Amino acid sequence: MRDMLRLSLVMAVIGIISAASLSGAYNLTAPIIAERQEREYRQALEGFFPAVAEYETQRIEDDYFDLIYDSNNNLLGFMAVVQQQGYGGLITFNLAADAEGSVIGIRVISHTETPGVGDVITTQPFLEQFHGKSYADRIEAGVDIDTVSSATVSTSAMIAAVHRAVNVIAENFLGMAEEALDITAVLDGVYQGSASGTMGDLVVEVEVLTGKIVRIDVLQQYETPTFFVETYPLIPNRIIEEQRLDIDTRTGATLSAERLINAIRDALTKPPVVN
Amino acid sequence: MKTNNVYLQDISRGIIQENPVFRLVLGMCPVLAVTTFLVNGIGMGIAATVVLIASNVVIASIRNFIPDKVRIPCFIVVIATFVTMIDMTLHAFQPVLYEALGVFVPLIVVNCIILGRAEAFASKKPVLRSLFDGVGIGVGFTIALGILSLVREVIGQGTLFGPDPDSAIRLFGANYEPMLLFAQPAGAFFALGFLLAATNIIFKRFKIE
Repeated sequence: MRDMLRLSLVMAVIGIISAASLSGAYNLTAPIIAERQEREYRQALEGFFPAVAEYETQRIEDDYFDLIYDSNNNLLGFMAVVQQQGYGGLITFNLAADAEGSVIGIRVISHTETPGVGDVITTQPFLEQFHGKSYADRIEAGVDIDTVSSATVSTSAMIAAVHRAVNVIAENFLGMAEEALDITAVLDGVYQGSASGTMGDLVVEVEVLTGKIVRIDVLQQYETPTFFVETYPLIPNRIIEEQRLDIDTRTGATLSAERLINAIRDALTKPPVVN
Repeated sequence: MKTNNVYLQDISRGIIQENPVFRLVLGMCPVLAVTTFLVNGIGMGIAATVVLIASNVVIASIRNFIPDKVRIPCFIVVIATFVTMIDMTLHAFQPVLYEALGVFVPLIVVNCIILGRAEAFASKKPVLRSLFDGVGIGVGFTIALGILSLVREVIGQGTLFGPDPDSAIRLFGANYEPMLLFAQPAGAFFALGFLLAATNIIFKRFKIE
């Protein structure tokens, strides 16, 4: 019994000394760390927006967005801190966009992609492809941004993240909602449209009769089979039932579902193949 | 190196006869993981050395106070305290290195070299000798990490003093296509294997015991 007391006393003393010295070290380093991070962020901001005076942070879903103002309170643009799952772990980067929502710069803060392979996402030639892109562009792999072969997963992850950030900026700060398609205004006929997927184009055929979608067929698809069964025929059925395209896409295969909807939207905005 | 000075013996034993990486093959996890660039390897070596020296000194000075039954938890608390301090210091003053070493700084706590020296040496020997033992083992660890990361950086990246592009020297010109295998985890095993073989040959040749 006496022994037990002595043992715990020794451990308690060591623990207390350790805790005291750690809190001392923490108090010394914490302000330095905070100040340095603040300074680095400020520097990055000034690199993209030389006239920056103030900024205001907003959190939207998982990402942080800063609205940048100059000294006259004019909106200069946006700075987003975006996180995205890459090949080896989370990629964190800053995305700067001007007041119109066009990308003016990207700076990768941290990543754990494969050295010499996936870390191509930090290089200027890859990142410069995004400059000037906005919500009006598609920002899709292989369409207007090139992936880097042998680093497809890392580069695709970056492209998807930029796409998401640019759209979030457009929707939340610039009031750009994706244009709702008025199906009743679509003339009768059979329409064909496509959306590009990772393995190939998804092609659909849509039939409209008296202002209503009556039939949606998939003519060609290269989707992952296990994902595609989650979206087809569920998504077409939902669209025919609700007669609108902005339906709930949470199916367990969101990307396939969105691709399907994009292809249908594409079809309905084109002239019909059969009147 | 024949000398009767016990402190010099402590140092040289850590660097040569009982080099933690090449002779004892201890603490392989950070050795293989962080040695992609020379700067990272040396940085990891120095961080571990500081922890090792500090924990050796503290453990040696309180060795008569710690009961035998609870010595391991006490050692771990001492080591963890120093590791956390190093972690915070690196974060504050060496952010680039802190990012590069990542999780391997906190993992110094469970590095078997440090606990091994605490258990095998510092808990039995006087303070000053433990200090020199810490210096010797630490320098040996740093040198080994330096050699391994030098080999891996030169072959796997074709640079020296990377990854920061401002300080990196491209050894073979801009068009050199490096042997990426050596920058990847598998290459760490290859490089370490060759270096272990080389040290074995040298030790045999010069009959170092």
